[in-house]
Amino acid sequence: MTLIDDLRSAGLTGRGGAAFSTAVKVAAAYDNGAALIVNACDGELGAAKDAFVVAAHLGELVEGARLVTRGSGRIRYAAHRGSDTETRLIAAGLDVLDVPSRYVSSEETAVISLATKGLARPMTKRAPFVGGGRDSRGRRIPPTVVLNAETVWRIAQIAAYGPDWFRAQGTPAEPGPRLVTIGGAVPRPGVLETAAGMPLTTLLAAAGGMPSGAGYLWVGGLGGVLMPAADVPRLRWSSADLAAYGGSVGPGVIDVLDPRECPVEYVDRMLTYAAGESAGQCGPCMFGLPAIAADWHDLAAVRPGNRATVESRLTQRLALVPGRGACRFPDGVARFAASAHRQLSDHLAAHAEGHCPTSPTHAGPTHAGPTYPGPTYAGPTYSNSPVTPVAESTSRSSRVV
Amino acid sequence: MSSDQRRPSRRRAPVSAGAPRIGVDRVACSGHGICAQTLADVVGLDEWGYPIVADRPVEAKDADLAVKLCPARALYLRP
Repeated sequence: MTLIDDLRSAGLTGRGGAAFSTAVKVAAAYDNGAALIVNACDGELGAAKDAFVVAAHLGELVEGARLVTRGSGRIRYAAHRGSDTETRLIAAGLDVLDVPSRYVSSEETAVISLATKGLARPMTKRAPFVGGGRDSRGRRIPPTVVLNAETVWRIAQIAAYGPDWFRAQGTPAEPGPRLVTIGGAVPRPGVLETAAGMPLTTLLAAAGGMPSGAGYLWVGGLGGVLMPAADVPRLRWSSADLAAYGGSVGPGVIDVLDPRECPVEYVDRMLTYAAGESAGQCGPCMFGLPAIAADWHDLAAVRPGNRATVESRLTQRLALVPGRGACRFPDGVARFAASAHRQLSDHLAAHAEGHCPTSPTHAGPTHAGPTYPGPTYAGPTYSNSPVTPVAESTSRSSRVV
Repeated sequence: MSSDQRRPSRRRAPVSAGAPRIGVDRVACSGHGICAQTLADVVGLDEWGYPIVADRPVEAKDADLAVKLCPARALYLRP
């Protein structure tokens, strides 16, 4: 059995969130003699599992990377600038790709662009870069494959213990062990080694349980969804169960929202942050995300008033953004905003009546909101300048290592 | 739909077998909007002037002309 056969029968999929077949990717890397970038950025909000893999399983990670390149071909380890993960990788004498600490910088094609002396911004993917290609300006990109650090660690494990060992864990649809980062309002945030199919209650109990009065879970970060904490007892950690909320196990991040904080305002901060993280390359993202964040900011005000116009505009814009960027960042943010819009409709309605269910004294978001020219803006005739980053962009929430 | 947004027309002219579809390089696209005129059947513009492309084939000669006329060189053909 070759490694590709083993990966195929194991059913390993990318652990970075996209869940694409690793066997297919590695086979293409073999065929093209592609260079490998091991993505250890933990780029999703709240993710810390790549840090765990580097801190606890570096030997197996290096072995997995060697298997993917079959001993020849350059291997680089992408980590966020200044992170502990980066320090560990450098200390181990590995070839480290220093990635700026911005949300889209760790996206697959952004990392490839950076590794090939471009900027850490996503590239249009007319065909997978594992076969090589060109960026939008015609710059040649050599064959490069990007695999998430947990994925590479799993490759080494499958090579060592076999596909049957792997398949014995998880569910038939989502086999194998997988890491989950639990953060937010839990007593013991951190990375858990688990598998798909685990009851959510069990996972949360391992992190010390949810606080009393917990209202919502945020699953999957900026590309994820909100779900009611009340539904937790009947759910398992699987994409099949999370599909009811528009979510998936994705990059393996669970955040418990603090019940003392207004969830509408929390989402408002996250969307404003997201709007400022657009790379400013693709029009629908560069203009659409600030527009969506501005709509939410309007809805979030605790003030009596008719919000029907803003509601319908937000709904239209959420449908307009997905699939219209070089990367999936706008798709993810639209998914998150749409999910928050569904889950928090009652809460938003209360704000529109002039009161907040979380706290009688809550007066709505205090920050200025996203930088957005506004719906009266005449439309871009020509602009490639990125949207001004929002001064109040939040720091990455609940980073736990 | 807001008034400043134009959807592709619903008119569907029959196209030859094997006709291509239009792809947009979103990084290269700077919202000139020429494609919404050269390919009015399949391309509309959003409120910011960026193309909304219907996922259906267009005649090869129309597609070729649109690709040629895009000032940002952002249009390409997909099989």
